[in-house]
Amino acid sequence: MMNEERREFIKKTALGVLVGLGTVSGIVPAFSLEKTVLPLWDEKPVPGKIRWGMLIDTRKCKEGCQQCAAACHHAHNVPDFRNKKDEIKWIWQNPYQKVFPTASQQFVSKEIQDRSFLALCNHCVDSPCTKACPTEATFKRWDGIVAMDYHRCIGCRFCMAACPYGSRSFNWQDPRTAIHDPVTTYPTREQGVVEKCNFCSDRLVKGQQPACTEACPEQALTFGDLNDPRSDIRQLLETNETMQRKPELGTKPSVFYII
Amino acid sequence: MQWQVLRMEVMMKSRKLLWIVAGTAIILFALLNVFRKGEAETPRAAVAGSVAIDSAKCIASAAFMRANHMQVLYEWRNSSVRTGNRVHIASNGSKFEKSLNTCLGCHSNNRLFCFNCHSYANVKPKCWNCHLSPMETP
Repeated sequence: MMNEERREFIKKTALGVLVGLGTVSGIVPAFSLEKTVLPLWDEKPVPGKIRWGMLIDTRKCKEGCQQCAAACHHAHNVPDFRNKKDEIKWIWQNPYQKVFPTASQQFVSKEIQDRSFLALCNHCVDSPCTKACPTEATFKRWDGIVAMDYHRCIGCRFCMAACPYGSRSFNWQDPRTAIHDPVTTYPTREQGVVEKCNFCSDRLVKGQQPACTEACPEQALTFGDLNDPRSDIRQLLETNETMQRKPELGTKPSVFYII
Repeated sequence: MQWQVLRMEVMMKSRKLLWIVAGTAIILFALLNVFRKGEAETPRAAVAGSVAIDSAKCIASAAFMRANHMQVLYEWRNSSVRTGNRVHIASNGSKFEKSLNTCLGCHSNNRLFCFNCHSYANVKPKCWNCHLSPMETP
């Protein structure tokens, strides 16, 4: 009789200890029996977690001000051939009917017709250029940026034909001859490759804002994560009426405009 | 005596039942919790990767680099440009930014650092078509 009870007691105690261990490992993360060490992935990007976007408040954009384009082109060694045929542009200004050719243009106010609008690569979600590229030199990054790998560009210019926004320029000549004030912090391109805005991915890794956003004296440009509902850009998108360039093409541009 | 034994048996039974009920509840609770994702440990997005870069020393021995720098640079350019993984972890655990500037940060004091060997071996890499070579750095 006593032996029987002792045996039962030991069995139950053992079971209790097992259950207790399991509970502790489940409740307290530090004691997990099987856990994933997430810091191991700290330095690797998470695809789809971020979608960088820009909002341009064209009402604040001052006529004749070129500071955003100047800052961008300086920071990225964009050549200036002073010649329309060879022009390389990452960010530039155009009139309303050129930036929004398919938007309703009947009886647009004189003020809007006279104003110039900023244009840059839209970093589309469904980007036609990345689908056209035969070498995957241009590709969608994990954070929504349509990036260029100049190492792989063969200069076929399919992407230029595919881009509905004219955001890409081809280096017909050696760009190094036309960089008037070179910076050492960013490489140049070479003859025979296509180039375009990179949404300042080089500055983002350093935790900085894009060069154009930083350079704007009127704070007309807002840059941020479109996937984060609390970001400045999403707040502005919620409170303002905005438009994208050629939305009917279904490319889902990440650059938005307040007219 | 008889009633005492009977009472003991009843007590044992009810105690067993209690054990079983309590045990099942605890096991269920534990099972539910073991597979729960830790909220405190959500992965951070590598946006502003401020990595402590250790550029006081080379990433590998000179002999290894002499033989394998092309593979290292090839791997660096693909992973940093395409997958965004800009951090190289050397065999001794120190971290480096995957960039030509990491090499040239020290080696540009020798202007012929790349060119001596390349001209001897008659290889013509295209790095300097776009990147600044130690010959051009100020």
